[in-house]
Amino acid sequence: MSQCETVQQSIGPWLDGELKVTDGEMVRRHVEGCPECGAEHRRLEKIHATFADILSKESSQIEFAPFWREVRRRIDETQPWYQGLIEWARSISTSPRSAWAVPAAIVLVLGFLSLTKWPVGGQVNNYASVESIDTHGRNVALLREDETKTTIIWLYQDSEGENENVDETTNSGPAF
Amino acid sequence: MELSDWQLVEKCQAGDADAFQELVSRYHQKVYMVILGLMRNREDALEVAQETFLRAYRKIKSFQGGSSFYTWIYRIAVNNAIDAQRKQKRNPLDFHESMDGLFEARNEVAKDPFSDVHDRELRENMVKAINELTPEHKAVIVLRTVEGMSYKDIGETLGCSEGTVMSRLHYARKKLQEKLRAFL
Repeated sequence: MSQCETVQQSIGPWLDGELKVTDGEMVRRHVEGCPECGAEHRRLEKIHATFADILSKESSQIEFAPFWREVRRRIDETQPWYQGLIEWARSISTSPRSAWAVPAAIVLVLGFLSLTKWPVGGQVNNYASVESIDTHGRNVALLREDETKTTIIWLYQDSEGENENVDETTNSGPAF
Repeated sequence: MELSDWQLVEKCQAGDADAFQELVSRYHQKVYMVILGLMRNREDALEVAQETFLRAYRKIKSFQGGSSFYTWIYRIAVNNAIDAQRKQKRNPLDFHESMDGLFEARNEVAKDPFSDVHDRELRENMVKAINELTPEHKAVIVLRTVEGMSYKDIGETLGCSEGTVMSRLHYARKKLQEKLRAFL
């Protein structure tokens, strides 16, 4: 094998930076002094540069936003239904969105508890109240008894309701 | 500070979709370039590039970091493109056949008409010459061109030795030179 043949097989790896420094230096010296190998070197460089330019111009036309939208759509289509819930939970549990999530959760829990009377430790929790609903003596009375699971709502009119100073013991209120 | 690919991969593995979006933003053009180099037209290449990232998203939990992220994503891209081409041969009507306008110089003002025509001819013939290579030869030349990958990384991506990469590259370049001699 002539020296030119050996060098021409090494021009590619030399251009790719895959030769040892000493071997690369030998190829460089030969290419500079040999018209045939010099032409081979230029052809390989031209092929590389043209192909790189073609691909790079083509890929620069690809915009990220629509590309990502389509990838995202495919991901959403193929993932199981609960994955969306997991991602949502993860997104609200990470700062700074959690800033509002924690107080909101506390308010919701307190609100729910305030609407419900929970018997604590098995205690019976009876409840009774009388509320005046207008200035003409109309009232509503509410009685709830846990033991019998009974709730009574009673609307009635107090004949002396207009007199707000009347002693409560003399009221003709409801008799349960 | 910009996170490394591996840090983003770890975030993805913990379920962070934004980290995956960042990885797609870093690699979508290069992955598209690799696939376009292996396939015949833009539409099919775009479709396969998007499918590549979908596959990467599904598999990312199993990515251990034994290789770099980019060799991993290019491996998926090359396999997808080769699979798509096999499918293309079986069902040609499912794919875009036209190569019209592919790789033509875009939006360029010709400074020298002769050089412009010559350049156009070189580009058109290069596309044909590349398409006549086998998928394995195309893959090495595309990976070397797009990313300037080392033979070791190309070998990792394609699952072959550095020696095989070197001989495939040599053969592919020889073929391209033969077919393009009149335009070089």
